Amino acid sequence: MKYLLAAAALLILSGCSSIGVQPWERDVLARPEMSLDANALDAAIDDHIYFSKEASSGGRGFGGGGCGCN
Amino acid sequence: MHTSIHRLALLMLLLSSTVLGGSAVAADPLELSQNRGKLVLVDFWASWCAPCRHSFPWLNEMQAKYGDRGLVVIGVNVDRDHKLAEQFLRDVPARFKIVYDPSGSLAQNYDVPGMPTSFVFGTDGKLLGKHIGFQQGSRAERETELQKLLPPVQPN
Amino acid sequence: MNDDANFNAALAAATCALLGASVPVHAADEEAQRWSFDTSLLYYGESDSRVQDISAAVAAQRDFGDDRKLSLNLTADTLTGASASGATSLDRAQTFTSPSGKATYSTSAGKVPLDDTFKDTRFALNGSWTQPLARLYTVSGGLGFSTEYDYTHLGANASLARDFNKRNTTLSFGVAYSQDDIKPVGGAPVPLSQMLDVGDLRNKRNDDTKNVLDLLFGVTQVVGRNTVVRVNYSYSDSSGYLNDPYKLLSVVDPITGDTIGRVAAGGQGPNGVYLYENRPDSRTKQGIYAEMKHAFGAPVLQLSYRFMTDDWGIDSSTLETRLRWPVGADNFIEPQLRYYTQSEADFYRSSLVAGQRLPQYASADFRLGKFDAVTVGVKFGHRTTSGNEWSARLEYYQQSGDVPGDQIIDRQAGREQYPDLNAVIAQFGYRFGL
Repeated sequence: MKYLLAAAALLILSGCSSIGVQPWERDVLARPEMSLDANALDAAIDDHIYFSKEASSGGRGFGGGGCGCN
Repeated sequence: MHTSIHRLALLMLLLSSTVLGGSAVAADPLELSQNRGKLVLVDFWASWCAPCRHSFPWLNEMQAKYGDRGLVVIGVNVDRDHKLAEQFLRDVPARFKIVYDPSGSLAQNYDVPGMPTSFVFGTDGKLLGKHIGFQQGSRAERETELQKLLPPVQPN
Repeated sequence: MNDDANFNAALAAATCALLGASVPVHAADEEAQRWSFDTSLLYYGESDSRVQDISAAVAAQRDFGDDRKLSLNLTADTLTGASASGATSLDRAQTFTSPSGKATYSTSAGKVPLDDTFKDTRFALNGSWTQPLARLYTVSGGLGFSTEYDYTHLGANASLARDFNKRNTTLSFGVAYSQDDIKPVGGAPVPLSQMLDVGDLRNKRNDDTKNVLDLLFGVTQVVGRNTVVRVNYSYSDSSGYLNDPYKLLSVVDPITGDTIGRVAAGGQGPNGVYLYENRPDSRTKQGIYAEMKHAFGAPVLQLSYRFMTDDWGIDSSTLETRLRWPVGADNFIEPQLRYYTQSEADFYRSSLVAGQRLPQYASADFRLGKFDAVTVGVKFGHRTTSGNEWSARLEYYQQSGDVPGDQIIDRQAGREQYPDLNAVIAQFGYRFGL
């Protein structure tokens, strides 16, 4: 699985310069509901509930996406 | 193909022809001659660009302070929906010229690397500087940079 | 138009304050309002007098300008009720010694034994700071702390993100480390020792500790004007005291499957043979998480899948989807669906068989068993004229499990083998700025 992941990451990085949008085309991505952390409090609450009822937890995480400003 | 002077000329053409509503009008010679010999700051902005809310007060200040010394600030809006740009301008007024580029062709032409981006063109039309993003902390530094590029104050 | 779209570098915690605990909050007016708050009141209730939980959370964020942010989260929880102890049900009433060793509690005939869980209040506080390191780099660091009367957690985390390809691609790396102190009521029992009579604390030991190291690698990619995708690889290593000090296994007759009986000597105590569980003292988990958000005009669809595997033999898959549907300019409705499945741990045993050799590790904790779980829910939101937002969420969670066929003995087949869980979750939220 580790090799599959490394390959996927490399593939994404190498093919990335052609995937994506121009900086001035991020109007939809800038909408708050399109942020990957749009409902972070809900997500934290859900994870706390599932952490105490199930064996698996975590896996979500960081930023990116959004308006891409600054 | 796209030299700085050609870009500036294209911008002037679009500036003079892209009035509110976007109807094509023949180039206005008065506009062109007005901007020759000036330091032109072209700022690409959008209603959805949060740092632009902070950049506008600074751009207003620069235009007010150095307009007499030959600074012209032009804001190029890349919103697809004109109403959003209007709403933004109601919240954050602009005291400089606004040009509308809803199709993004001007942004494409200038290969805008990020939002917002400011290009500074000298009195001869050459590209003198580029700033990606807007940081409150770098305002003083950018103002000093502009001061150095402006035509010297003519003693009268 | 909502202008609070500047949280591209915010970090969100998924686990109990282990990684990046800052929760991005949305301000109504970015210029005038520097503090943003997201608050929530939650009720969680299981059927059959099992666990009930009420919690209140406040997530505050202070914007210091130029993408520098401070996040503070405070959560308070009160837990009441009982959860399945791991002992199996029986055709007669069962009596157990409570964890403190000072009293007994009983389970009626035919019912799944629930441990005598006490009222517990937990407080958790997390703080984190995020700032750009250079134009394309974002760095973040945070601390977390939580306390309840038998458990204290202290953690620290840090992460770094770098943008590529005109910010279409973001690579992130994060690390978190935590140290937990466990002080079970009555003391941590000697693993696989027998539950003794009231007042007999011979097999109870002192407090213990647990450490967890978490690593997270992530790639976020803008795929089109309306779509963003994220893939994370996570690695987690826990070591120390990983047992649940209150969970038991029933020792049963090899022919009938009934719990072996005993007489409490001189007073009160268990009327059956029950052993405390034992788990390995280390656990390594790995997971891949993939998420996509796509806007179909105004509605936004979110779809995610997570696969996790560990060295306890547990594999799990989680599939989640939400569809945010705007209703007019100020409201939205968001139906949600989650499907979860896990396999049992290698050492999961529904009960232990008398006369057979005792395994090194054994647990009947339903959370380590094989089960499927489904959550269906809906969320409503309303934005006020001042730009603040009210929301309400209602969810129904159902867990139904299976005991491996080869572990079911005779009379056990006719009884409820797995403590299936049904819970209702109701949450009210309010977001505002100051």
